[in-house]
Formats: sequence, structure tokens, C-alpha cells
Amino acid sequence: MSVLPLNSVLSLPSDELIIADKIFSSRLFTGTGKFSDQKIMAEALIASQSQLVTMALKRIDLANQDDDILKPLIAAGMNLLPNTSGARNAKEAVYAAHLAREALQTNWIKLEIHPDPKYLLPDPIETLIATEQLARDGFHVLPYIHADPVLCKRLEAVGTAAVMPLGAPIGSNKGIRTAEFLEIIIEQSTVPVIVDAGLGAPSHAALAMEMGADAVLVNTAIAVAKDPVAMSRAFALAVQAGRQAYLAGLGAQARTAVASSPLTAFLDL
Amino acid sequence: MKLIINDEINNLTVTTITSLLSVLEQPGKGIAVAVNQAIITRQKWDDFQLSENDQVTLFQAIAGG
Repeated sequence: MSVLPLNSVLSLPSDELIIADKIFSSRLFTGTGKFSDQKIMAEALIASQSQLVTMALKRIDLANQDDDILKPLIAAGMNLLPNTSGARNAKEAVYAAHLAREALQTNWIKLEIHPDPKYLLPDPIETLIATEQLARDGFHVLPYIHADPVLCKRLEAVGTAAVMPLGAPIGSNKGIRTAEFLEIIIEQSTVPVIVDAGLGAPSHAALAMEMGADAVLVNTAIAVAKDPVAMSRAFALAVQAGRQAYLAGLGAQARTAVASSPLTAFLDL
Repeated sequence: MKLIINDEINNLTVTTITSLLSVLEQPGKGIAVAVNQAIITRQKWDDFQLSENDQVTLFQAIAGG
């Protein structure tokens, strides 16, 4: 089944996102991990209409060759965003980024430095050091970080291309547990804000977009769904809905009821 | 020539990175090569001369989030 771009289905105005040297019409970025097989992965990512997909790097197992996962993604016109997953400090991450640039011929790097395997929380100090170095080396750096507004400003100062604050720990599907701080980041940021990690349901992605995030990155929630292709579409719709709601301007919340109908006394017989 | 490739000792008749990848049946696309921890850019694969006991590390892109 072919899927029309959501913008054409819903007749939405063009609303492009610019990060570094690329223009995106989809604000849903996706990861390639945890899919049960590569065919489903490719189908799901195509259904998501994502234009930026993450991947990791590892040593080649010469005895056990993996299939080429790049071909269907490149054929679908997706941009590749290699990550530095596995790096425990800035030095390793910088090395991993240079390897990724060599392997995939891209200056884009998702900087991930999470030395603690239990919660995979990003190390802010090493991340700042690596961002500064990689920006100097000509990379477009998208660092995965805690929802820390102060760190975001420090990353901007050293030339980050975007910031990727977490909603909840990677793969936890817990949704947006960092809302108060994401709001501050979104309010203050001069670079695109991509909410990454923890988004477990389309409603979580919609909430991030309603809050004014520029994009979201989703992997686990799509990959582990019973039907990853259908879940991809659901996320794509949610991201569109959330973005449109943000642009439309949400009404203010009130503590008490505010009548939607005039409270006239016509039933007083 | 004795080379340590991804931590395994190999005896191969190769001279350059290009010839090594050919012997290992590696397509070259989507991979990165480091020799003794220094990354060798693909522009240098044809010319870079491997030496006895070099540690060669080959990396490839895989699925990840």
C-alpha cells in the first residue's frame, strides 16, 4: 500500500524544520534498533516518513556477516544519523564519530555518552567536551542529554547543531517525565530541540510536539510494537497533530470550569 | 604477513587496505578502517601499506537507536 505524505492528505501548509545543512518536512526521526527483522524495519521506517534515521557502529564480525541494513534506507531517501553508542567518555565518542564519518560519509553525529548501563543516562561533562571537539572538527553534533536547560545553553555556546533532551530513560517507554525542564529548554533554545528517548506511545510524541519541541526521535516504541508498520504511521500522525496544535496555539488551562455555552436561564419555566 | 584483524591473528598475502578488504570479501561501503587505532580514510586505502603485526580494526554500521 502506498502512503501519501501526511501533508497532502491533511492539506497542511508547509512547515519545514532546518537543522544544520538539511531541511526536513517530517519531524519524526526514527531509530533502527530492536526490530525483529530488517524487512519489517525498512517497511516501518518508510511508513513513518522519517527523513533521519539513527544507526550504530560496531566491529565487523568477519565470521558472521550482518546483512546490509543501509541499502533500503538510502533507497528510501533517508538521511543517516550514526550514533556514538558504546562510548564511555569524550575521547571514545570523538573516535567513534570519526569512524562513523568514515563509514557513512556524513558529518552528522548523534553524540551519546552513557557510561552507566542500567539507566543509560548521558554524561553531561563528557558530552560537552566531545561536542566542542566535534563541532571544531566540522561535525553537525546532535547530543543526547538530560533535560538540563543550563547544559543546553553551554552546548549552544560550543556550536551544537541541535539538542536532544530525554523524556525518560532510553527504551523505558515511560513518556515525558521531564516536562518542566523541557519547557524551559524549548523556551530558551536557539537551536532545534529534539525530544529523544522514553517516548513509548504516540500520545507522548504528540505531547512533546504540543509543548513546542521541533522534532522527536522514536525507536523502541515502534520497533517492539506488535505491528511496527502500523505503529510508525500512528507516531507520524501524532507528531503532525501535536505540531499543528502547537502552531494553532493551545488554550490556557484554568482551575475551575469556564462555560462553553451561554448560561442563560431559558429552562427556568 | 601477520596481521591482527579485529583481535584475530591472520596470515594474509596483502599489501594495501584495498587488497585486504578484497581478500576478506568486504565490499568497502559502509565500513571504516583503523590501523593501530589510527583511522585510515578511504582515499588512502589504495596506497596505505600494511606492515607485519599491524592491528587492523574494521567497523560497520548496524541497527541502533
